[in-house]
Amino acid sequence: MKQDHNLKELEQIATKLRLHVVNMVAPSGQGYVQQGLGAADLFTSLYFAEAKMDPENPTWADRDRIFLTTAHNTAIFYATLGERGFFDTERLSTYVTNGSELEINSSERLGPFVEATCGSLGQGLSVAIGCAIAAKRQGRASRFYVIIGDGEMQEGQVWEAAMLAGTKGLDNLCLIVDYNFVQSEGTMDKVMSLEPLMDKMASFGFACQEVDGNDMGALLNAYDEARQTKGKPTFIKANTLMGKGVASLEGLMFHQLRFPEEVANSARAELEAQL
Amino acid sequence: MSKTLTQLEAADFINRSFKPLPRSYGDALVEAALQDERIVALCADLVPPTETDRFRDELPDRFLNTGIAEANMIGMAGGMARSGEIPFCHSFCAFITKRVLDQITMQAAYPNLPVKIVGFLPGIATLLGVSHQAIEDVAIMRAVPNMAIFEPSGPEYHAAMVQMALAWDGPVYLRMKRPDTTPDAFTPQPLEIGKGVIRREGSDITIISAGICVSEALMAAETLAQDGIQARVVDMASLKPIDEELIIESARKTGAVITVENHSIIGGLGSAVAETLMDAGIGVAFKRVGINDQFCEGGTTPYLMQKFGIDHRGIENVIKDVLSRKKKV
Repeated sequence: MKQDHNLKELEQIATKLRLHVVNMVAPSGQGYVQQGLGAADLFTSLYFAEAKMDPENPTWADRDRIFLTTAHNTAIFYATLGERGFFDTERLSTYVTNGSELEINSSERLGPFVEATCGSLGQGLSVAIGCAIAAKRQGRASRFYVIIGDGEMQEGQVWEAAMLAGTKGLDNLCLIVDYNFVQSEGTMDKVMSLEPLMDKMASFGFACQEVDGNDMGALLNAYDEARQTKGKPTFIKANTLMGKGVASLEGLMFHQLRFPEEVANSARAELEAQL
Repeated sequence: MSKTLTQLEAADFINRSFKPLPRSYGDALVEAALQDERIVALCADLVPPTETDRFRDELPDRFLNTGIAEANMIGMAGGMARSGEIPFCHSFCAFITKRVLDQITMQAAYPNLPVKIVGFLPGIATLLGVSHQAIEDVAIMRAVPNMAIFEPSGPEYHAAMVQMALAWDGPVYLRMKRPDTTPDAFTPQPLEIGKGVIRREGSDITIISAGICVSEALMAAETLAQDGIQARVVDMASLKPIDEELIIESARKTGAVITVENHSIIGGLGSAVAETLMDAGIGVAFKRVGINDQFCEGGTTPYLMQKFGIDHRGIENVIKDVLSRKKKV
């Protein structure tokens, strides 16, 4: 897959998505900037390279399905959906305004390309597994990608679901943790560490990979390997950097970030210069 | 020796007898699944107690024992429903409602998916005590948008429950009771979504009931008839949507209403009937019979029903009291 895609083009798309994130959050200060910038490569690699989908026919039964279970990371999610052609990017300017379907926490009222209404954390993996089982039962080749938050993995239901996916050997399932190491009240090690996460997931029956979640080529290679893995679901620990792509924001480990106009302006200028 | 041991081992979690219990719900579900290939079944490791053993054995590719993990079960059912299947999820009432309310609301009710939630051990009807008793499940599920709730008054209505669940284009909660014995021959009256069934006619008072309390209500009505009191008995198998028309008509006709339920008096059938009457501006002598806002205990069902006042004796006493108030109205 890696060689089929022009990495430079994908990286340009990711930059464009980052610019949307800045523009969407700046007016109200509502929404995730750091997490959105950090996950831009993850979203780009899945939506613009790896997953089969048809924006003209979003309910296509044989599509691959991508579940964003950390449903609050919506600036990057909506930017991705808009750029991918699921709706007009002009709608992105309505982000978090009253009456807009582009709510801060994504809901399927936006459209069927929101594969499940998540945000009550820990539920999306179960839904994806239900779809994965149904797809096998129906003889479909679809694959099921779940973007889960690292803090979200503290939810017990995630481990119920992981146990079942591993036991059933659901090789059409790929669980990707957006490992930015920050949750609401601080860094993961301070609140509730998941480590040793790779060992835990391996013991639950997953084929595990750890990658730089901001390395487009590494992500594509990881999906490649996941697709070739038979008899086991895949777990990808994607280490992402909060604020990636904007020098002044990179590595600022804040779950909620004040985003004053001057910071937004300099971030915008920096990203525009990369395009 | 070995045969005896096999039989001993074969006793399931609830049934300790050597005779298999009737499986009228489970059989009806299998029959429906043979007609409709979209139907699948999930069970959180309570297979015979939820009558899904035949489904497991005859349709293994469409059956999933999820392990003791109800939250994941409901989420997976949401995914299956999103993939064109009609999942029936099974556990005990207490676990498949209270424990997984968030999963039900977000992954079944909000997207209005055909996820059928099937609980057994309704209300206090279990030896297993407070942990396994669901006396607030109807109240909780009634407040969930898009959700329908049906409760059979006996095994003769179990097959109808499957059909009603399928006829409701969205999530359903079935509040089931596994029969203890093979029921006597009985011709069930047809059930309909949103309709109550008049099981006995009378003009002095209306008893609106559901589930295992319906037969107690009928017994109480027969006893009272000996004293010249004629009670109408309504089986409100469709708890939501509820038959507002019949409630209003019954109140107007009989001038007194009591509700009887194997559930807390808060939020269940009694509340639904009271809300209907108040919304319609109808004031009649009224009393809710149910669990009086208290936790119960483990015991046999007849013992518990008597102790907590939801058996025929309790109903008779309440009716006498309500009728004394009716005269003053």
